[in-house]
Amino acid sequence: MNKILIADDEPHVLRVLKLSLEKEGYAVETCANGKEALTRLEQEYPDILITDIQMPLMTGEELCQHIKQHMPERKFLIFVLTSRTEIEHREWSRDINNLLFLEKPVSIRNLLEKIEAYFAGMTDSWRVS
Amino acid sequence: MHLNQRFGMIMIIATLLVMVATVYILFDYQRDNREALARAQGLDLARLLSGMSWNELVPQAGRKGLLAVLSQGHSNADFAYGAVVDIDGKVATEVTRSGVIVPIGDIINEPTGWLGQRILPANDTASQVEFIETHAPVFDDGVHKGFVRLGYSRPGFSFSYYEMPFLASVMLPIFLLVPFFYFMLRREIKPLKEISQRFENISEQGGLTQIELPQSQALNDFMEQVGSYIDATQTRIEVLNREHDDLTMSSKLLTYRNNRVDAILQNFPDAILVIDEAGEVSYANARVERLIGIEVEAMLGRKTREWCNDPQIIPLLTFGDVKSNLQASQDTVDVRLDDSNEKSLQFNVYPLFTPGNESKILGRLVVIRDVSESHLMRERQNEFISHISHELKTPLNVLSMYSESLLTEGADNEEYRIEAVNVIHDEVERLSTLINNLLAINQYELGGVVAQRKHVRMHEFLEDAFTNVTKARGIKDLEFDLEIPREMSMVYIDKDLFRIAVNNLLTNAIKYSKPGGKVSMSASENEDSIEIVVSDEGYGIAESDIKQIFNKFFRSTDDNVRQQTGHGLGLSLARQIVLMHHGDLTCSSELGKGSRFVIRLEKVSTQIMDAAVS
Repeated sequence: MNKILIADDEPHVLRVLKLSLEKEGYAVETCANGKEALTRLEQEYPDILITDIQMPLMTGEELCQHIKQHMPERKFLIFVLTSRTEIEHREWSRDINNLLFLEKPVSIRNLLEKIEAYFAGMTDSWRVS
Repeated sequence: MHLNQRFGMIMIIATLLVMVATVYILFDYQRDNREALARAQGLDLARLLSGMSWNELVPQAGRKGLLAVLSQGHSNADFAYGAVVDIDGKVATEVTRSGVIVPIGDIINEPTGWLGQRILPANDTASQVEFIETHAPVFDDGVHKGFVRLGYSRPGFSFSYYEMPFLASVMLPIFLLVPFFYFMLRREIKPLKEISQRFENISEQGGLTQIELPQSQALNDFMEQVGSYIDATQTRIEVLNREHDDLTMSSKLLTYRNNRVDAILQNFPDAILVIDEAGEVSYANARVERLIGIEVEAMLGRKTREWCNDPQIIPLLTFGDVKSNLQASQDTVDVRLDDSNEKSLQFNVYPLFTPGNESKILGRLVVIRDVSESHLMRERQNEFISHISHELKTPLNVLSMYSESLLTEGADNEEYRIEAVNVIHDEVERLSTLINNLLAINQYELGGVVAQRKHVRMHEFLEDAFTNVTKARGIKDLEFDLEIPREMSMVYIDKDLFRIAVNNLLTNAIKYSKPGGKVSMSASENEDSIEIVVSDEGYGIAESDIKQIFNKFFRSTDDNVRQQTGHGLGLSLARQIVLMHHGDLTCSSELGKGSRFVIRLEKVSTQIMDAAVS
């Protein structure tokens, strides 16, 4: 079963995403901030990470940078939920592979389609390199 | 004295000197001749007499001595005396010119000195007369009996009238030649004098008169040339004078303009640097020193690397090949002058082209502007927008997700439907509050908010606000404490606005509390005022931050604060609202122990309002 880890400080988001993804047959883990997510990543090997940016203790940006530096061998897709649309707010992610921004408000249907496509091996069309 | 008169005087004095010298030379020559004659005659005569015997020389009874005979026949006017003395110097016989006494002479013992000449002073020392004496031995039958002494007056400078005609004949030509030469010279000198006069005229800036043509042709030509040269010189001098006057005027004008431009540049609000083709600073105004912290004198005439050691600034003020990069540029760097002084400086570089030649560059004008304030403001605003969009989009995201999931989940799951509706309701509330806060602060900025005051019961108002906040934010493990006297005066406030202020204080207290901490609100009243205190046991605020917490967009750099979402707006808004009610909002805090915010409202003002309303 494909594993998905979600990090967001908004419990309602976690609740809805978990519900929707589990319904599609994915194993979903949730955590409230970047630090918790990192702890989970050290123990588990999810196929997809969905993370918010602004979170207490460790932001989504810090989490991604940490992954890039300390877990370069790990291959998983990262969805970053963001409130900002401007390009300069995505500068930090330029050299992180397999990272995709999803702008809030996020459409669950859109997200599910992307995840489905990823697992179907159709990743190249939107892979961020 | 006039040159002409002076020249005449010199001529006369010179003539007299020549005449005196001539006379002296003549007399000196004459005297030498007489002395030589006296010596020669004396020696001849002495030798002659030395050949005689003592008895022939010394007069005997009835017979005149030979000496007397010789002396009387002697024609030399300088002959003074003749005497025959024995070996002890005692005079045996003498003949003298009238008035002359034979001077005393030393006895001569050595045979080598028997024949000789000597100079003897007269016995009368006051007369300064000297005699040239020639002495020779006298023998009698081969026996040395004594000496013959012959004296001649030593000739001095004396003048006799019979020499007058001779002297006159010598002097006259000298005397006549001098005036002749004088007048000749004067005639030749005259044009030179006129040149001298013209030079004087030039120096006095007077007009010139035409020189009278001199008589000598060579001099005439020379003078014509000199004259035309002087004319040309005078014309040139006049032109130069005019040019000098013009130059002085334009120089003054230029100095004035220069000073004016300098004053403008010095007082320009931005720092100005001019860097020439060689890359050296050729101008810097006083503002540069304040912005970069380097004295103007230290940078003038030097390359950037020589006075600047900031690795960020050096590349901005170093241009390499002057011809390349003719575009104006703008860069902003953060410069740390010292630990407490960090600035954001904007460097605007403009190429300075040669007037009329856009391809030749003279150097560069660098305008340095302190953009720290606007930079900070922009940064805070940027951060603010980040927070705001997060704060707005997060509830929006939840709304979107729940509504989308309701379509699929809600149809057959009653429980989920109720949950979704509640969440949607809460999130709409959250959005609404945030939007109200934003609108309120925006209106404050524009000055468009008018407080809609009403009489409000303090107890109910505060209790309601407190309950609302603490119930909604029961996320952390916190203890809440509310202490408000049941009987409190009515206050005259804008309830909605004041609620925002109290809400913001309480929200902050919760947000920055440590787990297990206590958040409390209390109120008290005395004759003059009402105090509302919101306190927590949270992270507290650093002393350096306390001054700034009421500034719009300010967010502490403290890690504990950064971990919380916020937009630096709540406290700013709260204070503005309290100030609008003529109250005061203050803060005291200790890092690690908690903070305490106090709203103080004057009762007087509320009572006056009461009176005004009723």
